[in-house]
Amino acid sequence: MSLEKKPGRRAFIRAAAAASLGGGVWLAATPSAETTVWQIDPSKCVQCGQCATNCVMNPSAVKCVHATRICGYCDLCSGFLQPGSPKLDTGAENELCPTAAIKRSFVEDPYFAYKIDEELCVGCAKCVKGCGKFGNGSLYLQIKRDLCQNCNECAIARQCPAQAIHRVPLSRAYFIKEAGAEENQAQ
Amino acid sequence: MNEPEKKVLPGWLWAVLALAVVAVVLFLFFTDRRPEPGPALRYDLSEYEAVDESLIRYAEMQRIPVALEAPCGLAVTADGRLVVVGDKVLLILDASGKELSRREWEFQPRCVAAAADGTIYLGVADGVAALPEPEGAPVFWEPLDEKSLLTSLAVNEQYVYAADAGNARVLQYDRSGRLLREFGGPNDRENTRRFIVPSPCFDIAFDSMGSLWIVNPGKLGIENYREDGSLLSAWYQPGMGLEGFAGCCNPAHIAFKSGNVLVTIEKGLNRVKTFAADRSFAGVVAAPEAIQAGWSDAADGHAPAPIRDLAVDGNDRILALHGPLQCILVFEALAPQKEME
Ligand code: SF4
Ligand code: SF4
Ligand code: SF4
Repeated sequence: MSLEKKPGRRAFIRAAAAASLGGGVWLAATPSAETTVWQIDPSKCVQCGQCATNCVMNPSAVKCVHATRICGYCDLCSGFLQPGSPKLDTGAENELCPTAAIKRSFVEDPYFAYKIDEELCVGCAKCVKGCGKFGNGSLYLQIKRDLCQNCNECAIARQCPAQAIHRVPLSRAYFIKEAGAEENQAQ
Repeated sequence: MNEPEKKVLPGWLWAVLALAVVAVVLFLFFTDRRPEPGPALRYDLSEYEAVDESLIRYAEMQRIPVALEAPCGLAVTADGRLVVVGDKVLLILDASGKELSRREWEFQPRCVAAAADGTIYLGVADGVAALPEPEGAPVFWEPLDEKSLLTSLAVNEQYVYAADAGNARVLQYDRSGRLLREFGGPNDRENTRRFIVPSPCFDIAFDSMGSLWIVNPGKLGIENYREDGSLLSAWYQPGMGLEGFAGCCNPAHIAFKSGNVLVTIEKGLNRVKTFAADRSFAGVVAAPEAIQAGWSDAADGHAPAPIRDLAVDGNDRILALHGPLQCILVFEALAPQKEME
């Protein structure tokens, strides 16, 4: 018979607790790499439409954002109106957005304001393309952090033809679109 | 006594199975593509980009190379020389494209106009500069405010007009550089919002009768002004079809041929068109396909419109300054009398 004492269950639990506590303290004390999140670089996006169909979320975590500071507040907004729309008004047949997510409101003659209803937007980039083609390019796509699952590998990034989707540190602000797109480029 | 171990499957079969599993996983990984977005999610302009051949009334006769990185302004002098600005350079070419003179400066001219007496006017960062002699020193006029962005100049015997997209106004100067009047913008007593200028597409030109036309890009048309600043007439033509102007900033450039035939260039739908004096649609000079041929950034939604300026020479040839191709496209009418009818 062996005289050696086998470690009891209690001792094992104590040791495990001490180890995890120590590990936690060590982890907290050691500077670690910051969490990163996925983000679209609007200056690279070519509005291919894949953001609407490739995200694991349904509807997509990608939404249209409006940079109101560079918007022309145009009556004939090519981001809001269908090409060749019969009238310049909010009639469904005139709207470009397939989900009617863009809301148009009158400011003063002849200016109109445009707002995106995020709940309706599916991130298809149709309006972004229209605005960029004829207008100032004030509409752009962005991955919304409150909706994104921060997948290990973003399903859209894998398909993005423009390599416009990057991981960025969580503390970094959203890439926004202002007067010059260059200043918002991803590293 | 131990029983001999029974092998359910031989080792080689395990290896084959493992390989098959890896192959299936790799296949699924690399072929995991969702279908392309359907038509409802696609922005499609192809219907408007296609132009019926029978409506093209001009032929491209020549391409005059322009030795500039980013040409942005074009004018034709009274004796038929071509003046091009871009980078920090002014180029003077003869009608066939031979370089006659090249001036380089520290400042960047954005637009240019040539007076009948040979004086060249440049739109620069903070105002207008006059160049009485092509080889002489430029004379800078009173600087404008920081918000100013000159996009077009036009000159006649008495006045120099400067389109300022930054302030949505047109400035009227006398030929010595004295500011006389402002059309639109904050100092227009009648209508500060005369012009709607959402982007730096704001052009001016004289018609063949010498009358001033100003593009009102937000209204998708042009307006005709007396020299006292009063509005004579206006013509707005919103629409995606050939007879109209689409988006928020068109026509991007205008010029006039003899008989008051209007020539327009658009952004978005990169096409050149003419309209008769009564403003009925006369024909297409160049369809988007022709303008975009050879332009590597044609599919890039961020690229600025390729045609940077427009002019008409003394022989009624239409000259379109193509930025990315660094050349002047020269178009001649196939049946010149038709658009006068
Ligand atoms: S997949 Fe890439 S290029 Fe396509 S819309 Fe999304 S970000 Fe833009
Ligand atoms: S057109 Fe597409 S991207 Fe734009 S608001 Fe509608 S759903 Fe969103
Ligand atoms: S990380 Fe996942 S949830 Fe977020 S945008 Fe990409 S696919 Fe969608």
